[in-house]
Amino acid sequence: MIRPALGVAITGVGLWTRGLTSFAEFKAARKSGFVDLAASEFKPPKPAWLPARERRRAGLMIGLGVEVAHQACEVAGVPKDAVPSVFSSALGDTAVTEYMCRRLAQPAKVLSPTKFHNSVHNAASGYWTISARNRSPSTFVGAFLESFGAGLLEAASQAVAAHGPVLYVACDIATKPPLTAVADVRQTLGAAFVLEREDGVARDRRCLRAELRFRTGPLQTTPFPAGLEWLGQANPIGCALTLADRLAASETDPSRQGWLRFPAGPSCCVELHLEGGRGWED
Amino acid sequence: MSVYLKAYTLTSALGAGNGGLRASLRANRTGLDDREWRGSDVPCFLGRVDLPESVEVAPDRWSRNTRLIEFGLRHDGFVDAVAEVGERVEKDRLGLVMGTSTSAIDRTEEAYRELEEDGRFARRYRQPEVHNPHAPTAFAAERLGVEGPRITVSAACASSAKVFATAKRWLEQDLVDAVVVGGADSLCLSVIHGFSALQLVSPEPCRPFSEDRAGISLGEAVGFVLLSREPAPGDLRLLGVGESCDAHHMSSSHPEGLGARLAMERALADAGISMNEVDYVNLHGTGTQGNDEVEGKVCAAMMEGDVLASATKGWTGHALGASGIVEAVLCLEALATGFVPGTRNTTTPDAPFELLLESAMRPIDVALTNSFGFGGVNCSVVFGR
Repeated sequence: MIRPALGVAITGVGLWTRGLTSFAEFKAARKSGFVDLAASEFKPPKPAWLPARERRRAGLMIGLGVEVAHQACEVAGVPKDAVPSVFSSALGDTAVTEYMCRRLAQPAKVLSPTKFHNSVHNAASGYWTISARNRSPSTFVGAFLESFGAGLLEAASQAVAAHGPVLYVACDIATKPPLTAVADVRQTLGAAFVLEREDGVARDRRCLRAELRFRTGPLQTTPFPAGLEWLGQANPIGCALTLADRLAASETDPSRQGWLRFPAGPSCCVELHLEGGRGWED
Repeated sequence: MSVYLKAYTLTSALGAGNGGLRASLRANRTGLDDREWRGSDVPCFLGRVDLPESVEVAPDRWSRNTRLIEFGLRHDGFVDAVAEVGERVEKDRLGLVMGTSTSAIDRTEEAYRELEEDGRFARRYRQPEVHNPHAPTAFAAERLGVEGPRITVSAACASSAKVFATAKRWLEQDLVDAVVVGGADSLCLSVIHGFSALQLVSPEPCRPFSEDRAGISLGEAVGFVLLSREPAPGDLRLLGVGESCDAHHMSSSHPEGLGARLAMERALADAGISMNEVDYVNLHGTGTQGNDEVEGKVCAAMMEGDVLASATKGWTGHALGASGIVEAVLCLEALATGFVPGTRNTTTPDAPFELLLESAMRPIDVALTNSFGFGGVNCSVVFGR
């Protein structure tokens, strides 16, 4: 049975990972099959978007989320102070988890108030709203290792309901022992996409149109892009690379159709039927 | 489109299941006590759930938070109510949205206390399904047989209020035919010592909106509500949800409560009603200087007529990520039974409106509940007949 679909258009993208600090760099690296990427180093983003007080208090997870959020809004040309947002992550800020649990394992159990308020999973969302002076709804959603797909469904649902753009931000940072026992995240990756209701996006705007559905069953999900398998497998939100790759591909063949499937939970996925894209060549 | 509430259950410091809740409220019995929390010396009162030793879950899911959910699901025939709806809809058309702030961090804390010599988790703590923000939802989905969309909302103390927004959208967009929403947070060292570091923990039972309020009393709870588009006689309704952010500070409210006001206005607009149609407001009312002052200002400016308003964390403690579902159920109980809970522990109110101190029997038709959290996140939910 065909399920109701959410008609969305992706109009913006932001990206930060090892060797890549923007979608423009992603496109450039794609032309050479991402060959140089594994040899490059990860550089943390400078949290330049944040006011001084928040900048001092932000760790990597927050800086990453805020950076890609701003990038995606600039690419889409949507108002940063009004776009609602959905943040997602498999594990949340494991650097803060590590700090909290180590301190609490000591007899004195002294915690920094700043680290404690950064321990909420919506910390990056909070810093983003402060940096963008944005009072629209913002949330954090998760579905463990299937967080990217589940969060995409939530962002698409919000975009259709909002009749306007919604910012979707997904980040996981590399884990260290002992938390590698939970998930061995070997590479840090942050990605953001702006989703809009499909019928609200003018024909001449840069976008990738898609019908998005939730599906269950033993469905094969889309493989990572050629040359990026190592990176996709090294981070729970690796599917963001697949979506970014399809945006980049739509410039060479604007009519290119097809589908993408991302896990959204055990035995389920979100399926995007692509209806062609345009304008990503800029 | 209307969203109907088919079943609900709450287990909190006030007791196990809705029966425990009613009995404590009627007997004017608070859930707060000053028994020591293992491993902590912070002077405080806590709203703990008396979790029987006999409540067990599989070793790979073991944590206080999971056991709390298991215990919560054993009451009010909730699992059967979900199963009954599950039989009438296709498997992938029943969803689950759960709010949590702590998730099962209690277990992660424990794992760090007992690391092996090489720094790894001891074998019994190697539980990937437990040490992550989605743990409560994954467990509850299996327990309830949910195979449709399932997602965790983790937005601090607004988590299990915001679940109603996601669930309402899913129903409106026909992504599901029925959806369970819930919340589960459990007491742990992180929250006791974290709020203590912020100097927000009251050494006495919390007194929301009191002249001499001295901070929060932490609590824990688990609750669920089953929602669908299908009406039945007597069903209560989810009328509207409003969400906003302060965009001001990570852990203190906007001084004028701009975000809080937006959340309330958006909830009323979503419900298609005005504030003078609201009969009861369940305040966020944490008992901190800052929250109560700002929320008081916002509510005083918005409330009209003889609306009842109370803050109920003196009964339950502040159940953080589960406080949204706790206070949603208190609103549903007030709608269903006419018993409106008062502001337990507060005798000399400091509120710029009339605060309901003593619980009262008052038939009401519309109730609004506020939830605000770290990150400047705000959510208001409106329920009605």
